[in-house]
Amino acid sequence: MYRNMLKRSWLSIRRKIGRTIVLTLIFFIMANLVLAAITIKSAVAAQMDYAKSTLGGTVTIQADMEAIRENQREQMESGVDRREMFGKMSRPKISIETANEIASYSDYVKDYSYEISSSANEGDLEIVESNNGPEMPGMPGMPGRFQNSNNSESAELDGNITISGINAYAYISGVENESFTIKDGTYFDEDSDDKALISYEFAELNDLKVDDTFEIKNVYTSEIVKLSVIGVYDSSDPFAGANTIYMNIATAAKFLSSDDYNDGNFDVNNANFYMINSDKADEFVEKINSDFPELAENNLKIAVDTSEYDSMSGSIESVGGFATTILVIVIIAAIVIITLIVTLNVRDRRYEMGVLLSLGAHKFNVVTQIATELAIVGTLGFALASISGTFLAKSMGQGIIDSQTASSQAQLEKNFGRPGNRMPGQPNNDNFAPGNNDSREMNMKQRMMANNEQKVELDINATPSDFLILFATGYLVIILALILPSVNIMRYQPKEILAGKE
Amino acid sequence: MSKKNVLKVENLSYAYSNPSGVQKVLKDINAEFESGKMYAIVGESGSGKTTFLSLLSALDKLQDGDIKFNNKSLRKIGGTEFRLKYVNIVFQAYNLIKYMTARENVQVAIDFDKRKVDPDKYLKQVGLTEEEGRRLIGKLSGGQQQRVAIARAIASNSPIIVADEPTGNLDEDTEEKIIDIFKDLAKKQNKIVIIVTHSKRVASHADKILHLRRGKLD
Repeated sequence: MYRNMLKRSWLSIRRKIGRTIVLTLIFFIMANLVLAAITIKSAVAAQMDYAKSTLGGTVTIQADMEAIRENQREQMESGVDRREMFGKMSRPKISIETANEIASYSDYVKDYSYEISSSANEGDLEIVESNNGPEMPGMPGMPGRFQNSNNSESAELDGNITISGINAYAYISGVENESFTIKDGTYFDEDSDDKALISYEFAELNDLKVDDTFEIKNVYTSEIVKLSVIGVYDSSDPFAGANTIYMNIATAAKFLSSDDYNDGNFDVNNANFYMINSDKADEFVEKINSDFPELAENNLKIAVDTSEYDSMSGSIESVGGFATTILVIVIIAAIVIITLIVTLNVRDRRYEMGVLLSLGAHKFNVVTQIATELAIVGTLGFALASISGTFLAKSMGQGIIDSQTASSQAQLEKNFGRPGNRMPGQPNNDNFAPGNNDSREMNMKQRMMANNEQKVELDINATPSDFLILFATGYLVIILALILPSVNIMRYQPKEILAGKE
Repeated sequence: MSKKNVLKVENLSYAYSNPSGVQKVLKDINAEFESGKMYAIVGESGSGKTTFLSLLSALDKLQDGDIKFNNKSLRKIGGTEFRLKYVNIVFQAYNLIKYMTARENVQVAIDFDKRKVDPDKYLKQVGLTEEEGRRLIGKLSGGQQQRVAIARAIASNSPIIVADEPTGNLDEDTEEKIIDIFKDLAKKQNKIVIIVTHSKRVASHADKILHLRRGKLD
């Protein structure tokens, strides 16, 4: 029975070639758009997952300026001397033990960075003189005559060399945007104890090369610390100081005062935790707050920055939304068009249907024959579209991405063009050193712009599951388009179908 | 001796509903048709011939009364099954599938009967050549198309053949040949052949003529 039905369907397809071509063309166009939309949607989903894992966002533990100001206001109201109050004021910090503990939350944290800073006396070495005199310790590039009013130590104890300890070389400001590069040697890491990264100017002035050793003095304990040169850096950052020596945290801790060293539980600055998945940001913050309630007591707050992910996902999501709209429109249009064609086709072939019914065919078989014809033609259209659909998806998807990227890029530049403007979600890096803050903000801008340009790319390639969805959608459209004409066939008696002709 | 098939019509009535009211087309008809005989149903236009034929061939649903084949009720057999196994119709307008050749049209009926027979055998029986059998329906004359329709009816191997004005569009020579085919079907193949016709000449060849007047059979 089905073999005969297939035979008749095939004959109809072959002999009514005009109708077959029109239908194939309609299925081909529909399938191209459906496949393009499906492929773009899959690529968007994959890209979002990828973005979540690569641009997981950053959690920063930083001074809660609002809480500090509130504290000050309360103290002033209770009659505390203004000078005494500002003298006691210090930037809230997080202890390395706490930072390490948070960093060990492997469900949330992919990587982390924090810093300590101090200063050292040059001993027998020479100091690079800038136009403004020796730089301010602890703040690369700041001339020495500017005193850090927030430093609890006295000004006389400040050395001419700035010690900057950071857990990984990659997180030194300027490394990512390549304004800070290694000219000779290599970088340090957490295991590079007693190794130092010195500036090109400092190395030249003191005739130091990679693997040479030199001695500088802890300004607090006068203890001599012997360091070996692991690398020589060059920085194009106008705020970077040539007398700054970079090293890992363990080495930098040797330059702290005994009090600050605190038996190894010293404080760190700028604690950033890079998350595995930005979706878990709230959960992570909640966990930190519940495990370390003392952070809030010490005027520290936890800021979440998912701006990189947000800025990228905005463009991608709009592409996904566009693809969904296309998919819905195409499916509705296809159902309407194919319903019309099938209705006209059934009308045109009603006598054939009547003949088949008069020969003893079941009405269901007659409908199945039409469905089979459509399925054969549809399969041909879908198969052809499988070849061309991916190309269409690529050009459509990239076109939308490009326009979205251009508009968000323009918005980004417009936002940063205004003085004092901050990107949405950007952590409020309230810092007591204005120069340092500006430099960081500039780096952040560059990083975000670069990210926005580089990461918004979709890998649009149809996967086997996309093809499966295409064929399933196509056959569903055929079934839906058949409903109305089928109702017509099912409700008539063969005589009524044939009566018009008689 | 081949088995005698009997088609019985019992108290058959049929009415159409239209905006002007209910119009009774067939009124309490009783008739009996036997295999091996050719019957002619004659009557004026509007006498209910086509309605009667539609009911005999199960193209329409029974209202009142019954049709029985060898005492088996059409109501029990079911319309689709009845059309598939017991009756085949030759339409006045041929009702052939246009995108198929003559041969393929006949093959459709053979396929429904689930037999493996060469369609050319039936085309030859109605006087069509193999070459004519391979032509698309549109490339055949009216007479040739009517022969294809008859060949299709024979090919279905049904015990009853009902024909509605089978020679209405044909010239006298062709009409004669077609009537001979129907006679052969009744006599040689022991089928019940029922022809609805206006033509007295065609009716004169029948074993029995039934007159339908205002919905009643004489």
